[in-house]
Amino acid sequence: MTEPILSRNFQTPDAWKMAVAEKRGAYETARNVLATMKPEDVTNAVLAANLRGLGGAGFPTGKKWQFLPKDGKKPVYLVVNADEGEPGTFKDRYILERDPHLMIEGIILAAFAIGSKKAYVYIRGEYVEPFRRLQSAVDEAYAKGYLGKGIFGTALELDLVVHRGAGAYICGEETALLNSLEGGKGYPRLKPPFPAIVGLFGCPTIINNVETLACVPFIMKNGAAWFAGLGSAGNGGTHLFSISGHVEKPGVYELPMGTNLKDMIYTHAGGVRGGRALKAVIPGGISAKILTAAEIDVKMDYDSLRNAGTMLGSAGVMVMDDTTCMVTALLWAAKFFAHESCGQCSPCREGTGWAYKIVKRIHKGEATIADLDSLLKIARNMEGRTICVFADAAAWPIQSYITKFRAEFEEYIRSKGHGIRRGVSSYTPQGSAPAVSTLESSGARRLVKGK
Amino acid sequence: MSPEAVLSALDPQAQKIVAKYDQKRAATLTLLHLAQDKIGHVTPEIEAWVSKWTEVPVVHVHSVVTFYSMYHQAPVGRTHIRFCTGTSCMLMGAAEKLDCLKKKLGIENGQTTPDGRVSLEEAECLCACEGAPMMQVGDDYHLDLTEKKIDEILGKLK
Ligand SMILES: Cc1cc2nc3c(=O)[nH]c(=O)nc-3n(C[C@H](O)[C@H](O)[C@H](O)COP(=O)(O)O)c2cc1C
Ligand code: SF4
Ligand code: FES
Repeated sequence: MTEPILSRNFQTPDAWKMAVAEKRGAYETARNVLATMKPEDVTNAVLAANLRGLGGAGFPTGKKWQFLPKDGKKPVYLVVNADEGEPGTFKDRYILERDPHLMIEGIILAAFAIGSKKAYVYIRGEYVEPFRRLQSAVDEAYAKGYLGKGIFGTALELDLVVHRGAGAYICGEETALLNSLEGGKGYPRLKPPFPAIVGLFGCPTIINNVETLACVPFIMKNGAAWFAGLGSAGNGGTHLFSISGHVEKPGVYELPMGTNLKDMIYTHAGGVRGGRALKAVIPGGISAKILTAAEIDVKMDYDSLRNAGTMLGSAGVMVMDDTTCMVTALLWAAKFFAHESCGQCSPCREGTGWAYKIVKRIHKGEATIADLDSLLKIARNMEGRTICVFADAAAWPIQSYITKFRAEFEEYIRSKGHGIRRGVSSYTPQGSAPAVSTLESSGARRLVKGK
Repeated sequence: MSPEAVLSALDPQAQKIVAKYDQKRAATLTLLHLAQDKIGHVTPEIEAWVSKWTEVPVVHVHSVVTFYSMYHQAPVGRTHIRFCTGTSCMLMGAAEKLDCLKKKLGIENGQTTPDGRVSLEEAECLCACEGAPMMQVGDDYHLDLTEKKIDEILGKLK
């Protein structure tokens, strides 16, 4: 790939301000499209571009838009999912903080395509500075007449409300997000009905991720074929990959869909830190099944990763070198899922709680080999029987860490954790408390919310 | 100012906020943020005030407050710290930095320093893993934490 697209303004100082953004071409495309095209032209272009939702599920965006009822009886809402929370993912923050006008332009185009006059951006509560910048960008867009009534001098109108979340991972799930936006607890809803039919305030609603919408101006500017050609078959465009963990140069990397994971780590992210050996990689946020070092010769797109038994998810790549203790790593993951389950479904609420308890026991060196099988059984019972896929996602790290690193888990249990608490401890200076103590103290963590 | 006075001073803002939403109850989270920012934690008075504006029963407002980690049901420090204990941060030595922070503050997770200056919460991934280990101090993210950096940050707190 030669030129950055989605990230073209990330290094431009003050690109979040209207004056700078406009100098770099912001809103030109939306202005042209609204003046010269029909809504279905936008949907058709998005379809032909093979744009797939970049929030994690990879659903074709144009197809989703076409699910909306055609009768026009109720207002249609556009809701932007800016509740970025998937561990290992930080790409939306870059757009929100550094190029909010790009997303707003995408919102204008999407709202035009689906006939929506009201859009909400649901932004993660902890993202305070990104919120301020986005709100200021929205205010500037209103002042310029790009939002509100008669946008770009047309007869069209679009209101945009930026709404802050309040600290609950599950609100990233689209129907939990809707309940949260309506002022309730972030409980996922049973589907169907899908939000395109019954969504916000009972009205047809399209929910799209920040990055998904940021792609739309480029598709309309440079053409669907161009966008489709940037990616791999059926996966159009480039993608912002968040790379973190044990690499020399962690960060957000804009690369074509289908870039090889090995190149991503060794060429783009500078390789494993200190030239150490690679042990494992989580390719798509904590919910994605882990890959061993031997499995990383794989294309990073939805279809290739599914064939490799994992998923692209949020494209959060977490790299682990040979100092990483997989038991400890599973402890971190199990803690996350136990804390963030919304508690509605018992297989999830109880399963994540039990799993965390057992992993803690293993980690302390108080478990038996049979506990590994109990864990796998718990994980199996969590899959496919709950309101949302959070429970499935919670099962995957358990299954993949244990099956792919079974020998290490068994060795750890047999030695009661002695001598092989690799990883964290090897980076902890001698004499100070080992990582374990800190983790244990989190048993008395903040009141577990939503239980 | 009494909490009641603080809240009535927020009434004009609340009116504008409620008007932005298609339904009043949708303003719940925003109003809670607004009032908590002024008062420090969500008091029963705040819940009643939000209930007045959203026309949602107080018990419902209260259940919403308990669901979200950012609403404090009890007072916290003048500066609240969220320390990330997510996977990427832990891979990069967050446990050790967290221990060091706890020692400096003399508090554990969920506690506030006796002088009311700082409170500490261990958080899940705050989605700035490129700067692991990291923490949020008040509103601001601080990345690539070292012991020296933690000292500097703590030194600047009021
Ligand atoms: C547990 C869970 C958490 C999710 N978190 C997010 C998130 O933080 N951001 C996001 O855009 N999508 C998230 N999603 C996906 C959304 O439900 C939804 O598919 C997405 O916002 C749709 O937008 P897209 O089609 O543009 O990707 C999550 C899904 C689940 C099940
Ligand atoms: S699966 Fe878990 S997170 Fe999803 S609705 Fe059920 S309890 Fe909540
Ligand atoms: S793990 Fe700490 S910011 Fe993501």
